[in-house]
This record gives sequence, C-alpha cells and structure tokens, in this order.
Amino acid sequence: MRWSEPRALVSKDLRELFGSTSYALLLLVAGPLTGLSFIAAVRNYTDASATTALASALSPLDGVLLPTFGAYDLLITFLVPFVAIRLLATEKSSGALRLLLQTPASLATQLGAKLLALIAGWIVALIPSAIALVLWRSYGGHLDPSETANLLLGLTLRYLLTCSIALAAAAAFANAASAAIAVLSFTIGTWAIDFFGAANSGWIATLARYTPAAMLRQFERGLLNADIVILTLAISLLLLTLAALILAPSKKQLIALAIGIALLFVRTHRSADLSEDRRNSFSPADERLLQSIDKPVDITLYLAAEDPRANDYERNVLTKLRRVVRDLRVAYPYGGRTLLFENDPRYGTIEYRIGAKHVVSRSTTEEIVLDELETLAGLTPPKRGEPAYPGYPLRAPPLHAATLFYAIWPLLVATAWLLCSRRTG
Amino acid sequence: MSEAAPLLRIEGVSVRRGGRLLLDDVSFSASRGEIAGVIGPNGAGKTTLFETIATRDRREILFYMPDGVRPWEDRRAGWCLDFFARLFGRERDGEAIDALQLAPLLGQRVRSLSKGEAKRLLLALALSTPQPLLLLDEPFDGLDFRQTRGAMELLRARAAAGRALVLSIHQLADATRVCDRFLLLDHGRVLAQGDLASLRARAGNGEASLEEVFLALE
Repeated sequence: MRWSEPRALVSKDLRELFGSTSYALLLLVAGPLTGLSFIAAVRNYTDASATTALASALSPLDGVLLPTFGAYDLLITFLVPFVAIRLLATEKSSGALRLLLQTPASLATQLGAKLLALIAGWIVALIPSAIALVLWRSYGGHLDPSETANLLLGLTLRYLLTCSIALAAAAAFANAASAAIAVLSFTIGTWAIDFFGAANSGWIATLARYTPAAMLRQFERGLLNADIVILTLAISLLLLTLAALILAPSKKQLIALAIGIALLFVRTHRSADLSEDRRNSFSPADERLLQSIDKPVDITLYLAAEDPRANDYERNVLTKLRRVVRDLRVAYPYGGRTLLFENDPRYGTIEYRIGAKHVVSRSTTEEIVLDELETLAGLTPPKRGEPAYPGYPLRAPPLHAATLFYAIWPLLVATAWLLCSRRTG
Repeated sequence: MSEAAPLLRIEGVSVRRGGRLLLDDVSFSASRGEIAGVIGPNGAGKTTLFETIATRDRREILFYMPDGVRPWEDRRAGWCLDFFARLFGRERDGEAIDALQLAPLLGQRVRSLSKGEAKRLLLALALSTPQPLLLLDEPFDGLDFRQTRGAMELLRARAAAGRALVLSIHQLADATRVCDRFLLLDHGRVLAQGDLASLRARAGNGEASLEEVFLALE
C-alpha cells in the first residue's frame, strides 16, 4: 500500500469534517454547554465547601469533572451521530463513494480515514473541557490525573461507539435522514433497556449493564474495566465491518467479522480502581482476605430489583466483591417481582453460603457484610479505620469562565469555520 | 477495430430484478485500441450492463464512470482532479484538462458547475485513472457540439494510445461519429453487434443510419 492513499483520504475527510456546518455547530454548542455545566458545578462546589460536614468528603470527580464532562455525553448522544453520518452519507448520495470504491484504496482504509478524521474532530471538540480543567486548576482546584484520564477514556470509547453506529447506519440506509432516525432509535432503545433493567433481573438486567450509558457509568465511578474496553472496541469493529459488508462485501471482511465476534466473548475479569477515594474497592486488608477465599461464594438476595436496598447493595458491596472474590455467584430469586408488600418472611434477607456453611443477614452495610463473609470463610475480620481520602474543598468563584465559554469560544469557532469553509477545496 | 485479445469478455449475462428481466443472455467483449458503443433507448439495459460488468474484483482492469454523479460538491474542481490522481499515485492529467477546456473551471466549486461542465470534469477524472478499460455512461450528455467534438478527439487519442473505451450513448449521431463497434440493446436483449458496415448489411440497407439500422433490427 502506498502511503499517499491513506494520506489523501484522511486529508479529504478532515477537510470534509472541519468544513462542514454540522461539525461547526457541534463545536459552537460544545463551548457554552461545557461552560454552563462547569460554572454551575464550581458554584455548587463552593457552596458545598462552606459546609463543614460535606467539605471533608468533597471529590472533584463528582463535584466538577462529571458535571463538566456531562455536556459531552449530551453532544455524543444528540449531535455526533449527525456529524458522523454526514461524512459517509454525502459521499454515498453524491456518487463519490462509487468512484472511491474503484480506486486502489481499500474500503477498510476509507472507513479508517473517516474514523481518524472523526477522532481528530473529537480532540478539537475536547478543547472546551481542557479550558475548564485549566480554569479549575487556576482556581486552586485539585485534579487526580488517573481518574481524569479514565473519565476521558470512557467518553472517548462512547464517542467511538457512537461514530461506529452512525457509520454503519449511514452505510445501511439510503439517505442521511433515515440513518439519523435509526441511530436515535437505537439510543432510545438503550434508554428503555436501562430503565427496565434497573427494575428487573434476568436477561434485561444483564443487557442493561452493557448499554453505552451503563458502560460510561463505570468510568464515571473511576473504574477501568478491561472487559468493557474490549467489548466497546469489539462492537465498534463489528459495526465498521458491517458498514464495509453493506458497501462492498469481500472475504477479508469476514475475517474482521470473526475477530469482532470472538472479542465479544473475551472476559478478562480485570479492572483497576482509578478513583482517588478508592470507591470501588474495599480496604487492602479486606481485599487480601477476600482474595484468599478459594471456595465458591454464593449470595442469594431476597430483594426485588426495584427495592432501593438492592441498588445500594449492588453499588456499594457487589461491585466491589465482583472485583476481588474469585468465584462469586449471585442469585436474585425475587429480582423480577414486586414483593415489598407481600408477607414473605424471607423478603429483605441476604443469604451467604461458602461450602457447607451459611448465614442469613438483613444488612446491606459494607462493614457488616464483610464481617459476615470473612467469618463464614473462617477468617478474622481486620480492624478498619476511617477512610484516608482527605476531600478537596474549595471556595472559588468561576472567574473568566463565562467570558471564555460564552463569548470567546463561539467567536473563535465562527472565525475558524469561515476560514475553513473558504479554504476547503 | 483492434485484433488484440479482448481485455474483457462476458458471456451469457442475464440479470433479473424484482421479477423483471433487465438483461437477457448478453455477451460482449472489449479490446485495447477500440471504442465500443452500447446503444439503446432508455430502459434498454445499458446502465445495468455497465453496473453488472463493473464489479469490485475487476477494479484492476476497468474503471466505470456512472452518469448522474456529482462527487465532492463543496470542493473545487482542481482539488477533485488532484485528489483522484493522488489515489492512483499519479499527477493531474494536463492533456485531458486542456482538451476538455477545464482550466477556467479549476477554481470553481463542483456545486456551481453546469451540467456540461460537471460532465467534462467527470470525463477528466475517468481519464486520469490507470485502468486499461473505461466504461463511460453517457459521456457527452450535457456537452455542446464543440465540447462534444473535443471530448471525442480526446477519447480517440486515448484509444489510439492503447486503452479500451466502452461508451453508453443514447444519441445515435454521436455514437456513429466516435465508436468503432456497436452493441445494440433493446429491453435487455442484444439486437446485434459489430461495426456499422456489418450492422448495415444485417439490416439490408448499405446507406442506413445507425437509427435506421436499430429500427430495422428491433
């Protein structure tokens, strides 16, 4: 392969993207939207820092990063699909793709060039978030590099997945409007799965763990889950292969399809807790004890999925247990039913079983659950101190943010877009 | 007409879509140095034949320029020519630009080109490709008589240089002026093929125009 081909294609797609009105609008919206979230977050953070009880546990991840980057979740859901669809749909409808398919450049190179251009577009679109982070630091705010990078990785994977869905839809449908409707329908579908998955158990609850929003939530908690990363990349590869198969089928694409399908089933069960307050982990002493349990641990949760205790238990206990216990099996016999008002003596209990021993408890508190489990395994629970996380309170007004996000950024984008569209071609 | 081995030979091609027979047992060949014309009224199956021939596994030997495409509308014509040539590792085709009088249009966006100007740009794009066989769908559609003349001269020169050109044309007068050989198609069937003299002989009229030959044979 000559390098002139991919270079020419990437250069074309970059010009196409940066010269397009849809991308300019995305950039234009990105600034004020990020600014709005950032300014509100800094004000709320300042208010919370004034309260002694809250100040000691204040985390910039929850207080500033999540609201600020939340603007990007909106952009990815509602605007990015249109930008990505346009990149392929325009070439399809104008006939350019029919010409390109007859050139020596493979379809993989052509789709890869579009993806590269879209990634470049993502990097530029992240500038408002970079401005927000710089402002936050200039106010004296704290940032943990690992959890910030992890959140960024989660959003980037979500962006990649959305672009892949959009490109596959653009390949499958005759025009851009139909492709956009298909992508938005997919998004609404995943919201429905999220909604029903939260109140049910079984296959819908399992599926709900893998919706784009659910996958992003793990990164938002500071968790880097290798299986989620692999799954997102596998689905993206499959969608891009599907796009290629629709546009011009070839035997090579079947190999990519097979690799993508194989990756879907790869499970490493590896994850890293990158949150500074270690919110996804037990104390190191507890983790060492739990890792030493070599028998299967069975937990039966007699709680309806819609019961708030079930949610607390899932978030505060099971998420952490899954990361350290080698063989953990969880059953939800009442998961799909509403039993809150039924007269069942077992309702509200949690049964733990290790080998022949078992114990029943009603508590969903982390320390009590750990004591039950460790005692059941014949281990002595360690002494637990107060969490070491200091909290990072900060009382600072969001200086210069409004000017930067509401005035300078839109002005810069408008000027750059005018220059780009004049130079295009 | 060239005596060389055909670059492309298809035998007994039939295409059926939606219960309609679009091509019925069509056989055809194209050789270096010749310009072949696929002739027929609207709906005869000319475009279907081209699209059937122009499969991706033949992209090494042929390039197909469809009718009615207008690629990269937001770009300037000069950019399109440069970009397309770069994909083939080549330079812009200066001879084609001169012959098709494209130089004044290079700075214009494709969107702003007239039908004839866009058609000339497409012709230049097709001629800048290295494939030995070119399939051109309605290459003179939208061109005025001077531009048609210039385009025909250029196509003849390229055929003389060793390329094979297959043109789909519904203007029979244009076809007679530029093609060495004809494939007459009607309702997906081959009525006849050969040079004008042999077609006239089949029609039983040594002075007949291509139109009269077509009507006599259908």
